[in-house]
Amino acid sequence: MLKYLFAKEDDIPQGSAGLFFAVSAICWFIIGTGLGSFNAAKLAFPDWYHGIYALQFGHMRQVHVHAVIFGWIAMAFAASMMYITPTLGNTKLWSEKLGVWNCLLYNIGLCLALALLWSGLTSGREYSDHIWPVDLYIAFVMVIPWGVNVWMTILNRRTQGIYTTNWFFAACVFMTAIVFLVGNLPEFFHLTGLNEAYMTWWFAHNILGLLITPVAAAITYYIVPKITGNPLYSHRVGHLHFWSIVVFYSTPAAHHLMSSPLPEWLKSFASVEGVLILVPAVAYVCNILLTMQGKWSMFVSNIEIKFTITGVLLAIPLNMQGGFQQTRAINWYIHGTGWIVAHAHLALLGFSTFAEAAGVYYGIQVLLRRKLYSASLANFHFWMLLIGFSLYWTSMTIAGLIQGAAKIYEVPYVDVVIAEHPYMIVRWLGGTMVFFGNIIWLYNMVMTARAGSIVPVGRQPVEVAYTR
Amino acid sequence: MAWTFSRPLHSLASEDQNKEAQYVWEHENLGGIAENNNPLPRPVVGLLILTFLTAMSLTFPLYGQRPNAAIYADYVSLMNSTMVQKVMNDKTITHNEAKKRAMAMIEESLAHFDSPYTFQRAQHPIDLDQLRVIAPQIVELQKAGVDLKEYSVIGQHVVLANFFNIQPDGTVKRVQPWWDKGYTIAVWWFIVFCAGVIITVKRLPHFTWRPDHTIAH
Repeated sequence: MLKYLFAKEDDIPQGSAGLFFAVSAICWFIIGTGLGSFNAAKLAFPDWYHGIYALQFGHMRQVHVHAVIFGWIAMAFAASMMYITPTLGNTKLWSEKLGVWNCLLYNIGLCLALALLWSGLTSGREYSDHIWPVDLYIAFVMVIPWGVNVWMTILNRRTQGIYTTNWFFAACVFMTAIVFLVGNLPEFFHLTGLNEAYMTWWFAHNILGLLITPVAAAITYYIVPKITGNPLYSHRVGHLHFWSIVVFYSTPAAHHLMSSPLPEWLKSFASVEGVLILVPAVAYVCNILLTMQGKWSMFVSNIEIKFTITGVLLAIPLNMQGGFQQTRAINWYIHGTGWIVAHAHLALLGFSTFAEAAGVYYGIQVLLRRKLYSASLANFHFWMLLIGFSLYWTSMTIAGLIQGAAKIYEVPYVDVVIAEHPYMIVRWLGGTMVFFGNIIWLYNMVMTARAGSIVPVGRQPVEVAYTR
Repeated sequence: MAWTFSRPLHSLASEDQNKEAQYVWEHENLGGIAENNNPLPRPVVGLLILTFLTAMSLTFPLYGQRPNAAIYADYVSLMNSTMVQKVMNDKTITHNEAKKRAMAMIEESLAHFDSPYTFQRAQHPIDLDQLRVIAPQIVELQKAGVDLKEYSVIGQHVVLANFFNIQPDGTVKRVQPWWDKGYTIAVWWFIVFCAGVIITVKRLPHFTWRPDHTIAH
């Protein structure tokens, strides 16, 4: 990477930025899930580790969340955008040099941000935990340069039309920058009380709704038609999906605060919009699954399609939960319980991660022009991820229902802790499986770079046989 | 840019615009990806309409609302009646037995009268211990002559409800409505969304036109 920082633009091989982001994303995924496994172990075995203050749960939870969101998820998005955006415009990335610098400064910034969280320097707001200098760094050094590269690549495309994936990419990076700057207003201007609460959850909701889930969907809009060779089922359903994300996903932030003293009309509006999140979900799932017509055998035989379609199928329970759990009646029961933790992991580790993993698997093969080293290891990774995630999700959902019942019937807290213990152990087991699966993934990708079969120019990796 | 409104549900674009769009659609290769022009399947349209109706009906304040103080006013009156007080202070039975009998007596008495709060009482059952805690607060409010429907019962506290329904004369009513401006905004938001998306997709060539992907791919 370092040799390209001061090289001329033309001397930097195309795809370098995408590749650096992809490798960084996998490394951060290992770090993030490793931290998650450590945290889950502390909940499953509370006496297991004492000692360094910075390694206590209160510090580590934030570091885990941000390592996964900004390390794995956002960098996997950046990697996907760096190679998919130019491909769809029949052009090259606007600036590989900017992309390489962006990747370097992104990694440095993330290390700094996590170190500060680790040392206890935090805003104290969930999801927008960073202090304001770090917020500004993230917005202006990490996100906006990434966006500039995407926007300029689209502006300099050599096609007249813009494919659905690129609508999402361009809009989501733009909206993320806005969400970051507006959502952190409490940090910049010391807002307190309801203003602080609302802005904090406006930020958290929109980071999920305007970055993490729509960009994952955009990746699948590329991967499925590209690998199956089928045309996307419907351009016009793509419109419905895109505009319903913009209209219905950006508005229901108040549904995170249904028991707060926010004006009730705002909660009513947010709650209706919350259920209407099912509109983009239905349009999206229908569009992708119908694109698979006649190619369902690839769900078994092709690793990228396996990851992608699993992600799309996980989007169904994700949106069913998301749509209904925020209504007053259900929210009253599950608010503040492990159910929410399970739901968040369904979004991040379920739908989003599976889609991104497909994007990174495919991207690394295409950028290196090398066939995946081992299909067996990739399948092992897939099942470790799926089984690990499923264990995590089901155990935390059950734990959440127990907590909800205990909350309503005012069961003493210590009894709830005892009742939840087996589920905490299963949670740790599931998270640890994901962690080990990711180590195997990194090995497989390193070996792909070193020993993967060459993919001839003009051919797809799917058209080349595995050598192992 | 030209618009045709003669058959708005068929296409809002002119013939020339449609021909140009079809040409680009068939001759352009977007990184090796092609797109079809299928409409939303009808069952999915039905599902989306059902989603909107569900969104509106499921989120009414009727469900999951906090109990207001008015639904417990009769409980308080009955609890303070001589008949129930006698049971509550009966030294010949245990404390728990007294509570159980007193509450049963209150609920039996209430069952004899029609009340607009029957549904809400079933949604928010109360026991004698909590009733004892909130009773003095409700009595105070009754003495003050306020509308108990404007007060919420939250745990051990009876507090002014968090509703701001401004009346034409400028006063604020804090009674939980079955409809509020949040729903009005949601309805308009949905209508504007539908109009926007319909205009967007109707500017495309009609869905009966199937692009030929063999030209560019």
